[in-house]
Amino acid sequence: MANLTTRSRVRRQLPTTPWLFAAPGLLITGAFVLHPFVSTLYSSLTDRRTLIPGRFVGLANYRELIHDDMFWTGLRNSSLYVLGVVPALVVLPLLLALLVRKNIPGITFFRSAFYTPVVASIVVVGLVWVWLLDERGLVNSLLETAGIGRIGFLSDQWLLLLSAMAVTVWKGLGYYMIIYLAALANVPRELHEAAAVDGAGPVRRFLTVTVPAVRSTMVLVAALSSVAAFKVFSEVYLMAGPSGGPAGEDTTLVMLVQRTGTGLTGRVGYASALSVVVFAVTVALMLLVLRADRKEGP
Amino acid sequence: MPTSRRAFTAAAVAALVLPLSACGSGGDGGGPADASGKVEGDITFQTWNLRANFKSYFEGVIAGFEEKYPGTHVKWIDQPAEGYADKISADAAGGTLPDVVNVSPDLVAPLAEAGLALDLDKAAAKYAPEYLPDAWASHRIPGTSGTYAFPWYLNTGPLFYNKSLFEKAGLDPDQPPKTYDELFADALQMAKRSDGKVATLANVPTIEDFGRYGVQLMDKKGTGFAFDDAKGVELLTKYKELYDAKALDPQALTATPESSGRKFLTGAVAMNPGSALDLGNFKKQAPGLYKNIGITDQITSTGHVNMYVMGVMVNSRTRHTPAAVAFAHYVTDARNQMSFAKKVAIFPSTAGSLDDPYFTKEDGTDETRVRIAAAKSLKNAVNYTPVLFSEQMKTALRNEVAKALQGKESPGTALDNAVKACDRLLRQQG
Repeated sequence: MANLTTRSRVRRQLPTTPWLFAAPGLLITGAFVLHPFVSTLYSSLTDRRTLIPGRFVGLANYRELIHDDMFWTGLRNSSLYVLGVVPALVVLPLLLALLVRKNIPGITFFRSAFYTPVVASIVVVGLVWVWLLDERGLVNSLLETAGIGRIGFLSDQWLLLLSAMAVTVWKGLGYYMIIYLAALANVPRELHEAAAVDGAGPVRRFLTVTVPAVRSTMVLVAALSSVAAFKVFSEVYLMAGPSGGPAGEDTTLVMLVQRTGTGLTGRVGYASALSVVVFAVTVALMLLVLRADRKEGP
Repeated sequence: MPTSRRAFTAAAVAALVLPLSACGSGGDGGGPADASGKVEGDITFQTWNLRANFKSYFEGVIAGFEEKYPGTHVKWIDQPAEGYADKISADAAGGTLPDVVNVSPDLVAPLAEAGLALDLDKAAAKYAPEYLPDAWASHRIPGTSGTYAFPWYLNTGPLFYNKSLFEKAGLDPDQPPKTYDELFADALQMAKRSDGKVATLANVPTIEDFGRYGVQLMDKKGTGFAFDDAKGVELLTKYKELYDAKALDPQALTATPESSGRKFLTGAVAMNPGSALDLGNFKKQAPGLYKNIGITDQITSTGHVNMYVMGVMVNSRTRHTPAAVAFAHYVTDARNQMSFAKKVAIFPSTAGSLDDPYFTKEDGTDETRVRIAAAKSLKNAVNYTPVLFSEQMKTALRNEVAKALQGKESPGTALDNAVKACDRLLRQQG
């Protein structure tokens, strides 16, 4: 009888107990993830400003952004950033990882050196690159000495975007290199040896053994870097300035969210609509990468 | 057990909904708008990047106030210059705006519109005669009645130029440009002689530049912008000519005041606006430049130089209105402003202070010469930047100006577009 009572008590408590364990996590997620998300969704349907609560305006903000040239400029630049940065961040760190995994004297120094930009503050990194690429900076002085002449890295719309992409790739190399190093450690040495016995050279071994073995890591790197690239802010903000480069032509979507929604006269409702678009595109990018992985999978 | 589930669901919903209820304008209406009661209570005073250099001055002012009004306590907080507007907006939205806040006219405008700035014409009109009339009026908002901050310190500055670069370009280093025509001609000559390596100007024209050129910035009612008139187009056309000739720095389209200052220090740019404060920087950071520094007046077509105004606002939701108003007045009164002006190159906004020998008597140093010239020009100076000209409007104008300089749009079209964008933003501001 006592046994029966205990069992029924356990059955009664079962549905609640796991929830209680999950409650702290759920509360934090609710307060700091779900609530801001729902709040942003609702704000995007209002004309709320920083100091004025605003009224419900339906889809007016979304209609407005379709006709906003700066929105399309931001979408173009953020998309170009993904196209420019992601392939480089998928391939280059893998090559770098292959290089530094070898146990040769002094390799630890190079591993640390490649990882240093990851831990450096983006503000410091951005400013250093601004000084390097300035019209009178080190790079232009070298180019002038070499007889090529000065190049307006920070005054030309496209060169500025390319320079910012280069900084993103340079800063991200070490981070993704570490991920690849972990993946490469799991590639069986026998596969390489077998391929070598069959007469495959280093390039062939890389393409037929290494790449298939780290394919899932490459997909992960592509997903992570594409989301980060689409949401780029700091590099472009530091190098192009708060106005987003010449005539604002280098503005990215997240920069536009910041510029529109902050300050005492910030249009929080409109900035929220922009944020929702950033969120939707980011989710779409993730799904695209994962879908491509499934299609190509075995 | 259904009851437990319901209780749990209710708790989860409450956890999600409760944070939502924290949204809103915040605040509870605070104390009375009347400042005539007893001066007492704890208040908070926020300054804008002043603690690092003037800690002892402000501690002295606060101690003096607390001694004058026993029963009061002032908590002083200072915010960094970077992101100051964002800090104020976060505090205002969260209902945690300090009782007395250091503001500029463009910051006070949205706070006044949101009902967060105390109308001093109602609460402290008796103090108005103590200040220069233009300075008192600088915190009025077009379209509303009332004055929303005590005027604090004023600033203006000369135009610095590099005599050595002028000489190398075949220009007379002792005859700097005095008019816009002279400035444009000298700039073109400088670019030509240096083969485009030395620009004369480092910044694209801002709303303040259009004002100094004599362009009408807003319509007479203050309900719309008007800087796309013939005069505005004329100025932008001149700048386009300078940009094409590299007389305006090629990086001007993305320049900030800091980056322009650096270019002037390194001799990449021949002229730069500044204040008496900059002389110390030149002496320390670029002694070579300091030896060759030339100082001339701001160029203006209107006869009025530009001035920057700082103010001290009282939060309309303060619980201690009499103390907050009394402290804002105390910080900005003639004695304290004069004492502050002797510590740093700023100018008091109180009536008669600029006639003090400190601002009129030469002592042979460059610093004093700049100070006296600035004080003289401040007597009829104008704050050209309209108080309703927000950061978003500045960006809109800057982007259109850049398109004109790059030749993507004609100056006329660019300014028309800028006016349309600014008008739209003005309507959205309410």
